[in-house]
Amino acid sequence: MTAVIETEGLGKRYRRLWALADCTVSVPARHVVGLVGPNGAGKSTLLNLATGMLAPSAGSIRVLGAKPAAGPAQLARIGYLAQDAPVYAGLSVADHLRLGLHLNPAWDAALAQARAARLELDLRQKAGTLSGGQRAQLALTLAVAKRPELLILDEPVASLDPLARREFLQDLMETVAEQEVSVVLSSHLISDLERVCDYLIVLAGSRVRVAGPVDELLAAHHLLSGPRRPGDTMPAGIEVISASHTDRQSTLLVRSSGPLLDPAWTTSEVNLEDLVLAYMKQAAGRGERARHLEVQR
Amino acid sequence: MIWLTWRQFRAQATAAAAALAAFAVLLVSTQPRMTSLFSASGIAGCHSGSCAGLASAFLDQLASATPFSGHAFDPLPDGFDLYPFVYTLGTLLILAAPAIVGTFWGAPLIARELETGTGRLAWNQSITRTRWLAVKLALVAAAAMAVTEAFSLLQTWWATPIGRAMSLGGSASVFSGNRFSPLAFATHGIAPVGYAAFGFTLGVTAGLIIRRAVPAMAVTLAIFAAAQIMMPLWVRPHLIPAQHATVAIGRDVTLNNYTVTNGGAPRFALTTGTVPGQPGAWVIASSAVDRAGQPVGTIPAACVKQFANSDGGLDCLGGQGIRMTVSYQPASRYWALQSAEAGIFLALAAALAGFCFWRFGRRLG
Repeated sequence: MTAVIETEGLGKRYRRLWALADCTVSVPARHVVGLVGPNGAGKSTLLNLATGMLAPSAGSIRVLGAKPAAGPAQLARIGYLAQDAPVYAGLSVADHLRLGLHLNPAWDAALAQARAARLELDLRQKAGTLSGGQRAQLALTLAVAKRPELLILDEPVASLDPLARREFLQDLMETVAEQEVSVVLSSHLISDLERVCDYLIVLAGSRVRVAGPVDELLAAHHLLSGPRRPGDTMPAGIEVISASHTDRQSTLLVRSSGPLLDPAWTTSEVNLEDLVLAYMKQAAGRGERARHLEVQR
Repeated sequence: MIWLTWRQFRAQATAAAAALAAFAVLLVSTQPRMTSLFSASGIAGCHSGSCAGLASAFLDQLASATPFSGHAFDPLPDGFDLYPFVYTLGTLLILAAPAIVGTFWGAPLIARELETGTGRLAWNQSITRTRWLAVKLALVAAAAMAVTEAFSLLQTWWATPIGRAMSLGGSASVFSGNRFSPLAFATHGIAPVGYAAFGFTLGVTAGLIIRRAVPAMAVTLAIFAAAQIMMPLWVRPHLIPAQHATVAIGRDVTLNNYTVTNGGAPRFALTTGTVPGQPGAWVIASSAVDRAGQPVGTIPAACVKQFANSDGGLDCLGGQGIRMTVSYQPASRYWALQSAEAGIFLALAAALAGFCFWRFGRRLG
């Protein structure tokens, strides 16, 4: 499996604050990869490092095997839709397409025109007067029509209403299917990722908590519930990701490689949301402990 | 990239062109009257003795002239001196142009892209940030220099008769000084090109460092104004080591700070604006010295009476061996000084641009 983004001990510091620290991640090609994590997990920082908008303070990052934004050729291979889908408010939709044409040698004008027509974007309209959904669509059109090998989308739907969000993601899916492009998509909305992603990376506190194809992750995780048994340990091969207890009952989210045989537990399927939240909770717990240790020192 | 630069710069370019056109119309429409007054003044065929008088008469006439004389319709209000007004307006426009381009073209160039986030769109096309900056800097800086110099050339062309009259010794308070005067020097020749390049790159640099357009604009304006003031006060006189001369007290000497009261020794100071044998020279400093070349500020006892009678005081000082020491730049150095001043600002602009490339290519966060 080749990687589209590969980082090794990657870190980015703003003055004394680390926005991303010691991040080692490998994003596979030919997938729609969901990068999910709580706010402040470093998702945007990671993607900004991948596009060369930021330079790393520590570690290394390779995108499609090369240094980010190393030159025009490297820039041409990556389509980037930045957070909040920035467009020039004073330029018309047609001006934006002309911008794409002038600045990208591999620009697919026919594709751009077809997309604009299909999305019912008025070419003469100023981008500043577009709705949030249309603006995101225009920005995506710019990113897609340059014919990239990798499409990086930073929180593309965060500011959209539910209907626009659904339309955007549906359109994205169609585009990906047509163009065979690798996609990395960050979001803190798990329901969005569920619809489009086939690979998931959970990033929390700069660390990759879990990564893998969505169907494999779902198959390997189980929700167990049963009478509370304090001090109980799980058999080998079963890792407890999160546990919640009432007086009588325990609910566990576990990762297991094999089947679960203990009849005391009621086993049920997990959904993506439970899974992601469990890992975030786990990360938050560890964070608490880490902070606690720091204070003691 | 050239297309994008033009598309983003179109409105500013149009505004600048409109301002330039309006200024040109004003100058072209008022110039013929000035030319006809100049030909009628007889300056062209003057003798060495009569030139200064004729030139002054022309300037006085021009000060209150109107291009509408002889027309039934004169839209100018009574007492409005059109020619001094246009002369001053031109000077102010040329002084302000580099500050305006620095503030409104330079400061937002990068800062606005960072502020609105559009930079993340522009810098993720198949073109490096360095190239984006190179095209933007080159094209907009060229426009800034061209517009400023165009204002300057128009004004110089329009004021040619005034300049000739002043070079022949004509004087009129409304048309200030010679071409070395602080404002005239900075607004003529090639100096405006240097100011424009500096003002623009200063704005770009401020925008890149501060990352917000409006504060960057304010900082640009403040630093540029400071540079504009410091240049004539402390830098320009020393661009080339000044020449010195010791000359007898002559007609052009002015008596300053003259006191014979207050109990103490009667004091005086002398200044002069000309150097004999050096027409059009720029006098940087002048003062009175005694026979030994030492500065004097006390009226010699022998001359106190003449000063008190306010008659023949200066002649008496001359009789006591008091002379003037003058440091000056000869008129022939005008273009050398212009080149030096333009060169300094162009070098500053190049250094700022270099800094921008280094900083902008390296990181944005």
